[in-house]
Amino acid sequence: MVIRESLGEKIFRVFNYTALSLLGAATFYPFYYVLVQSLNDGRDALKGGLYFLPRVWTLANYMKAFEDPIIVNAFMITLFRTIVGTVLSVLLTAMAAYALARKDLPGRSAISFYFFVTTIFSGGMIPFFIVLRELHLTSTIWIYILPAVYSFFNLIVMRTYFQSSIPFELWESATIDGYNEQKIFFKIYLPLSLPMLATITLFVGVGHWNDWFTGAYYVTDKKLRPAATILQQILSEANFEQSTDVAGNYRQGSSLVSAANTTPESLRMAFVMIITIPIIFIYPFLQRYFVNGIMIGSIKG
Amino acid sequence: MKEQLSQGSMVLKKENNYKNNILKKILKYRILYLFLIPPVIWFFVFGYIPMYGITLAFRDYRFDMGLWHSPWVGFRYVDKFFSYFQFWNLLRNSFLISFMKLLIGFPAPIILALLLNEVRIAKCKRIVQTVSYLPHFVSWVVVATIFTKFLSPHGGFFNDLRQLFGVEPIFYLGQARYFYLTVVFTEVWKGVGFGSIIYLAALSGINPNLYAAASIDGAGKWRSLLHITLPGLAPTISILLILSVGNLMKAGFEQILLFQTPATLTVSEILETYSLKTGLREGNISYATVVGLFQSLVSMALITTANYSARKFSGTSLW
Repeated sequence: MVIRESLGEKIFRVFNYTALSLLGAATFYPFYYVLVQSLNDGRDALKGGLYFLPRVWTLANYMKAFEDPIIVNAFMITLFRTIVGTVLSVLLTAMAAYALARKDLPGRSAISFYFFVTTIFSGGMIPFFIVLRELHLTSTIWIYILPAVYSFFNLIVMRTYFQSSIPFELWESATIDGYNEQKIFFKIYLPLSLPMLATITLFVGVGHWNDWFTGAYYVTDKKLRPAATILQQILSEANFEQSTDVAGNYRQGSSLVSAANTTPESLRMAFVMIITIPIIFIYPFLQRYFVNGIMIGSIKG
Repeated sequence: MKEQLSQGSMVLKKENNYKNNILKKILKYRILYLFLIPPVIWFFVFGYIPMYGITLAFRDYRFDMGLWHSPWVGFRYVDKFFSYFQFWNLLRNSFLISFMKLLIGFPAPIILALLLNEVRIAKCKRIVQTVSYLPHFVSWVVVATIFTKFLSPHGGFFNDLRQLFGVEPIFYLGQARYFYLTVVFTEVWKGVGFGSIIYLAALSGINPNLYAAASIDGAGKWRSLLHITLPGLAPTISILLILSVGNLMKAGFEQILLFQTPATLTVSEILETYSLKTGLREGNISYATVVGLFQSLVSMALITTANYSARKFSGTSLW
C-alpha cells in the first residue's frame, strides 16, 4: 500500500516537473527565437533554420530601426504618453481614492455609485469614438492620455488599500498636529502606499506602452502613431503580402527591397524586441508587489 | 398665539442651522470634494455621454450634425443589420471563438495552479511563475508578430520543421481551418500564467490542517484533491466562470483583428471586428452602433442567466 502510493507520487512528480518545464520553455522560446532572428543578418535569415544562435551576427537591424525617422517619432510618442499618462493617471486616481476612503465624507456612497454605473453600462467602441471626435481629441496627443486617466477598478483598489492598510488614527493625529488634507495625502498616505502605487503604476504604464488600438482606429493624424501601432501596421502589410504573393516571390521580393543586409522581416523582429525588452526588465522586479496588489483587489474589492 | 409664533421661528432657526451645517460640512471637506471634481467630470464625459451615444443606433449619424443633432430614423439600421446576409455567420463566429476559448482557456489556469501548488522547490516554482506571467504583459501586437513569424511559410519555425520531414510548408494564417487553433492556442499561451495567480491565492487560503486530517484518515493525494482542494476553489471558480460567460460574445477583438487575414474572414469575422471596420473604416457610424449594441445586449442576457443559474445551483453569485 505504502510502496504503491509513493510510486504513484513519484510518477506524478516527474510528470509535474516535465509539464511545468515544457510550459516554461513554450513561453520563453518564442521570445528567444525572435531575439535570434533580430540579431542575424536579414538576408541570411531567409534561409531558415535559425533556432538557438544567430548564424551571421549583426546589429544592423537595430541600427536601421533607430535610424528610421518614423520609428523614432513613434517611440517618442510612446514614451511621452507612457510617462505623462501614467503619472497623471496614478496621481489623480490616488487623490480621488483618498477622498472616497474617508467614511465620514457626505455623499461618498452616491459618488461611488455614480462611478460604478459606468462599469455596468457602457456605450461601446463606436459611441466612444464619436465622443472623442466631438471633443476634437482625434488629432491631438491627448487622445492617449485623457480617456485613460481614470479606471473604476484602480480607484477601488486604491480606496481599499487606503482604508485597510493605513490606520485612521494616523489621520487623526496628523490633524491634531495641524496638517491639512493636502499635506496628509502627500506626506503620509502616498509614502505609505508605495507597494500599491508601484503595482498600479506598472499596470497603467504597461497599458500605455502596449496600446496599439487607439492609434490605429481612433487617431486621424499619422504622425501621432505610437510604436505599437506602427508595429501593427507593418505586420498587417506583411500578412497581406504573404497572402497575395505566390510562395517564393516573397523571398526574392524582399531581398530586392533591401540592398543592405536587412529585410522587412528582420527589421520587424528587431522592432518586436525593442518594444518587448523594457517590459521584460521591469516586470520581474514588481512581481512581488503586483501579486499582493491583485490579492487585495480580488479579496476586498 | 405667541407660543405658536415662537415655535414657528424655532422651525425657521432649525432650517437655517441645517443649511449652515451643510455649508459648514462642504467647507470642512472642500479639499476632498476638490479631489473628486475631476473624476466626476471625467466619468460624465467618457462614461455617461457614450451611453447617450447608443441612441445613434436609432438615428442617422451625420458628421456635420454630430452627436446632438443627427436626425432620428427609428429601426432603419436595426432592420438593416438583422437582414444582413452575414448576420448568422457573425453571430456563429463570435460565439464559437469565445466558447472554444472558454472551454480550453478557462480550466488551463486552474490546472496550472494545481500543478504549481505541488511544487516543493520554491525557486523552481518562482521561475516557472515569472516566465509564465511574461506574455500577459506584452501587447497582442507583439504576440501576433511573434506567432506570425513562427507560423510563416518563409523560414518560420513550424514550417522549417515540416521541411525537415520533407512536408510542404503551409501558410497557416491563410487557411480557415487553422484559425481557431491559432486563436485558442495564443490565448492560452498569453493568459494561462497570469490567470493562475488568483487560483494560487485561493489555494494558499485553504487550511493546511484539512490535508493533515485527511491523510490521517487514509486519504491519498487524489481524494484530498477531490474533497478538499476543489471545494476550496469552488467559490473563486464559479465567480470567474460567471464573468467569462458574460464575455461569451466578446471574443477578444484585438487578437482577432491581428490574426485575421483576407483568406480567413469567413471564420474570423466577429461582431466586434465587423462593427469596428464598418464604423471606423467605412464611416457607417449608426449601423456600427447597432452591431455593438446588439453584442452588449446578448452579453448582458448571458451574464444574467449565468448568474441566476449559479445562484440556484451553487449558492455563489455576483449579485
